[in-house]
Amino acid sequence: MDDSAKRLLQRLMRRIPTPTLRSALEKWGRLTTEQQKSMDFTQSKWALTERLLGICEVNSAIFSEIQINVNQGMWYAFQLMDPEDDAKSVDLTQFKEQFKSHLRELVRNVSIKMKKHTDEAVWIRIAWGDTFSRPNHLKPTYIVHYLQTPYVFVTSITSKQKPLLSQALVLSTRYQAIKDANLSGRKLTAIRDLLMKKYQQVFPTKYPIPPPENNQTISNQHIEKEQAELAANRLQMACEAFGGGMLPQLQSAVYKLETKFRDHSNKTMTEREEPFRCVVKFTSTNLLESFRHCASSGIASTPVTPLLSCIPLKGRNYFLITDNGPGPSSQRGQPQV
Amino acid sequence: MERHQNRETRTPRNNVVVHRRRKSKSYRLSYRSGLGAADSRLGWSPALTARRLNTSRKAAGISNIAERVDPGQLALLVKTEWQLSYVTPLHQFRHTQLKSYARQLSAFIAAGKQQGLAVEVEGLQTTFRVSFSLVQGMTQSDEDAESVLVQIHSKRLFARQDEPQKPVWSGWLTCINGNPDYLRALPKDFVCLPLFGCSGADGLSALVKSWFQQSFDCCFGLLEISHTSLQWLMALWTNCHAESGIQHLKMIWTLPAAPPLQVTYTVDPEDAWELWSSVRKGKGGGGGGEEEEEAGENYIDIEEVTSFMQGLKSHFYRHFRLDLSAGSLNQVSTALGSAKYSGRMKVPSTRELCQMLSVFALLIFVNVLFFFFSDLQQPIHDHHPDAADRVRPPQNAHLIERIQTLMPPENTIAAFIWQKLLQLVLVFIRNEAKHYLSLIFNIK
Repeated sequence: MDDSAKRLLQRLMRRIPTPTLRSALEKWGRLTTEQQKSMDFTQSKWALTERLLGICEVNSAIFSEIQINVNQGMWYAFQLMDPEDDAKSVDLTQFKEQFKSHLRELVRNVSIKMKKHTDEAVWIRIAWGDTFSRPNHLKPTYIVHYLQTPYVFVTSITSKQKPLLSQALVLSTRYQAIKDANLSGRKLTAIRDLLMKKYQQVFPTKYPIPPPENNQTISNQHIEKEQAELAANRLQMACEAFGGGMLPQLQSAVYKLETKFRDHSNKTMTEREEPFRCVVKFTSTNLLESFRHCASSGIASTPVTPLLSCIPLKGRNYFLITDNGPGPSSQRGQPQV
Repeated sequence: MERHQNRETRTPRNNVVVHRRRKSKSYRLSYRSGLGAADSRLGWSPALTARRLNTSRKAAGISNIAERVDPGQLALLVKTEWQLSYVTPLHQFRHTQLKSYARQLSAFIAAGKQQGLAVEVEGLQTTFRVSFSLVQGMTQSDEDAESVLVQIHSKRLFARQDEPQKPVWSGWLTCINGNPDYLRALPKDFVCLPLFGCSGADGLSALVKSWFQQSFDCCFGLLEISHTSLQWLMALWTNCHAESGIQHLKMIWTLPAAPPLQVTYTVDPEDAWELWSSVRKGKGGGGGGEEEEEAGENYIDIEEVTSFMQGLKSHFYRHFRLDLSAGSLNQVSTALGSAKYSGRMKVPSTRELCQMLSVFALLIFVNVLFFFFSDLQQPIHDHHPDAADRVRPPQNAHLIERIQTLMPPENTIAAFIWQKLLQLVLVFIRNEAKHYLSLIFNIK
């Protein structure tokens, strides 16, 4: 085992937070059960690293696979456009070969590792190098592609590397173009679920969902009765807009507004020709949960505005909103996304 | 917009209700556009006496302050985020004894460390040095006391011997734009430096504050910048866009959803400026001839500020159908400075520094006035019978005694005018007033 690999492993071990170390090593799956048991996790990280190095000398495994379990960066979603006729019939082996060969044509000295997970996702790890330097394994790019779908998720990529990757992806998947899906987040599972609609959706029904139990003491029977129906309606509309049950954990949404200012009380601004430019950013630990709560509690007026319900509907969290073209504009301006 | 009537929303917590009461009286914060003085004026309708309180105010401009103060000292004050507090007047504080105070504070901190009072203070070893320095010139009128800068210098842990000590904690006390009648009413032994800013480890801030409290029998309190004040700052900064570009107008709101939702609303500076101008022009001739064309005088009315805010909120509502009043405004920032609800402020350059400080000093003066109106408890109580009780033992024993001997009996005109002033001010800053009212109830 050479020095650079040793150093790489040491740096990797340092980056993994201690509480998740055990599960990370288990997921890595390269240590046999006896070796796993022999690792004493009450020791300091440094001692553990030494032990691991010893084990890996024996195993001579591929260390860098550990990194896949440490995804701390932002993931960006892309969508492939305009499939060719044989796009649907691309199978795993064909995709793997094509991708590797195309990327190697574009970039010298690149290290590509591909692995298929059980849920139809192909994980690709790319360590970039160039004509003069070896691949840099400390800053790899991770790509996740779901075969048979046009979705690709990428993390840790620079603007120089993006066009190369796009080219290789488009050619190997037999599509014609790739575009930014305007969706980003810290958790891959969250943006994947959002884009591919893998969360509980609620459809309009005749029977309203009963409002969730709350432990507040009932102050006044009449007030409760009156408010119960309104609350139930709000909750139904909130769930229709954002979904029921557990929602994918999105962290932020950005709206770039370039619409005209319209307010009856302010004649000067309403007559203005230029749009009122502003940027609104919503952040929360679980954005969709916050929006759903706003709608069901009345902070947001129901029915929920299409600007907000667009997030789960279209699976995006970056929007540029402009007014319609020339023509009669309604009260609310009908912003066009 | 009629939306307030036909929507089931939560009652907004921080809605500015000031405009409802303000039919004939108006509170005006005036300042000269650009480089002029931030003159504070309280005027009311001709029905009552049209007496202006600050008739003897000097015309020293804010820009002069920037020229009068040593640039080295000014440089220390800008580009840092300061946590603001208010301070009650200091008993027997002498500007001539700064060196002795530095020694005393130094000993106090060393003793505190020995006893383990301070929370782990990083980088502060036994070799630290406290310095008190006078910041001359940072005043506006003759009655303003000179500002004082306190710094604690220390070396980093494991620093080399020849490495100089760097300030690990800084604080300052200042009085800009003080109300001269109030300042003259103070007893002789008291010095008024009502605005305190500090930056550095919390443990050190607590130690310094407790030393001041012990030595000068004063009281510190966190200056929460209410959302009304934040709106004022927003309007003031936007108003400056013509002279010095604000680059952006950013507001950070927090909505009480589960989990809490934070909204960052950034407006393009040109558009914010246009909205602000439209709000001002729309007012027409406001107070009889006092328009922008007059010799540099420029009044900003609270109604203009609220209309400006309302415009921004309604534009937001039109798109998202989310009422920002349901949440709270936490932070306002432009290229000219930033201010947070928790009392933190930051200014990038000296000109804005003095403006900001004078605005804050004004806020404090209006608040601190309450400490002295113990005789007027009953009329205060009539206005606000539901003031919440926040327990904080007042420590100005000396001060209260002296003040009570100075108060005129209730049937004189002076007392009547003070009373009217108090009512005006109470109406204006209702949110901040509640806290201080409870202090008055405790005095006696």
